[in-house]
Amino acid sequence: MADFNIFHHMPWEPTYAIYFFVIGISAALFFFSALSWFNDAFLSLRHRAFYASFVLLVIGGLLLIGDLSQPMRFINILNPFYLNFASPLAWGGLNLVSFGLVSVLYYLAMSTQSPHAKVLGIIGSLLALGLPVYTGFDLTVHQNRPVWNTPLMPVLFVAMSIVSGAAVATFLALGEERLQGVLRAIILWSAGAVAVMLVSLLGTTAYGGVGQELTFMLMTSGMLGLIFLGLGIAVGLAAPIALLLVLGRNATGTMAASVLLLIGGMALRYSILIGGQLVQTYF
Amino acid sequence: MTEKLTSSSETRGVQGKKRYAMVIDLRRCIGCDACMVACKAEFDVPVGVFRTWVPYRVTGTYPNVKKHFLPRLCNHCDDPPCVRACPVGATYKEEDGGFVLQRYERCIGCKACMASCPYNARFMLPDNRTYTEVTNVVDKCTFCYHRVTEGLAPACVQTCIGRARIFGDLNDPNSEVAQLVATQPVQVLRPEEGTKPNVFYIGADRNLTEHGRAVYDTPEVLEEDRKNFTDAG
Repeated sequence: MADFNIFHHMPWEPTYAIYFFVIGISAALFFFSALSWFNDAFLSLRHRAFYASFVLLVIGGLLLIGDLSQPMRFINILNPFYLNFASPLAWGGLNLVSFGLVSVLYYLAMSTQSPHAKVLGIIGSLLALGLPVYTGFDLTVHQNRPVWNTPLMPVLFVAMSIVSGAAVATFLALGEERLQGVLRAIILWSAGAVAVMLVSLLGTTAYGGVGQELTFMLMTSGMLGLIFLGLGIAVGLAAPIALLLVLGRNATGTMAASVLLLIGGMALRYSILIGGQLVQTYF
Repeated sequence: MTEKLTSSSETRGVQGKKRYAMVIDLRRCIGCDACMVACKAEFDVPVGVFRTWVPYRVTGTYPNVKKHFLPRLCNHCDDPPCVRACPVGATYKEEDGGFVLQRYERCIGCKACMASCPYNARFMLPDNRTYTEVTNVVDKCTFCYHRVTEGLAPACVQTCIGRARIFGDLNDPNSEVAQLVATQPVQVLRPEEGTKPNVFYIGADRNLTEHGRAVYDTPEVLEEDRKNFTDAG
């Protein structure tokens, strides 16, 4: 028995996984900055988290534009005569640009101590929520892709965004015991949600059709298995949850867990992105 | 036609509109690859990418073996996911004829259309080409739009020595494709995706048109080819 096929390329390369990672963190950090208007514990994060969010937003935008084969045409996505609203990418592009604009306004309002800063924080947070939601939809809508084509994806990306963002925030909140405690609780709940969704995702993938079953096999064995199960789930999710539960509110423990969660967050996004494309390259 | 149309863009069975389709009779395909060559020549298709290609699968145990060819191309779906996925409307469906085409000058190269295509029919053009200026955008089979609108057959159909590829208007009940689709046990690839493809196969074994176990346990020789190809790319 032998097969012959031409070799198909993966449309979306690992750059997208890095984009998902940084944009998820950016969104969550903006949310934490805006949260400072409602919860005093987050007060010290108001400026720090915002700056980090904005830097990551710029990096994410550059990554996205740089990955286009026609980078200078990114402006087409803002052309109302071209926009196709059936595409989640069109909504995503608008969401990203709107988030950038609101971020700038939010910064100006904060620096001038304008009373509008709180409202802009709320609007920005809603747009920030849209970022992981649209990245999830980007994958979900491709009905032929195992792993991607599940309604879980946008919710999973929101939860992963909160985990990774909170992990970065623990470093911005160094020396603040109360805030670290709140962030620890946020990490535990959202990491728990990610774990539950991953179990569900793996189950439905394993029991799917031939493409899904093969994808499950590829994602749980070989090099991708090492990244997905090893780095993503064992090192990057199970270990930090255990660390946080065992060590309690220990600052060093929370930091160590945050590092592991960031490694895991990147590994999970990478393996979900690549896993959904592997089998199709052979079709 | 009894099935209710689910999308306003669907043109099959719509009066006064053409709906071009291709029937590929696998019993006639000998795997000569002349269709691939004709297509490459017609469109200056770069090395390493294909608008049409002919994969095969060998079944049985020597000496009782059979080679199953499966000519592939864009299925010019009646409900094309690539059109939905494109954020800037660079991919569109021609209303009369049902051709799924590409506006090269609009394409931003986000590759969403490539990700959405269940048939791997789309590819990225390289940085430079010998005779053509269109580069760095997504390309695909056009059902030879430029030839068909001039009353000619697509290049692959014209060149097929076994007459395995038959092309015509599905909405014309007197056309050969309409009669073949109406009377022969035709199959389409991945009907479960709901794309309503317009490339029909006669003699396809659905067990062989889907992914095989070889995807997971790839023969070493193929992996070597794959690695060489990737390194060269």
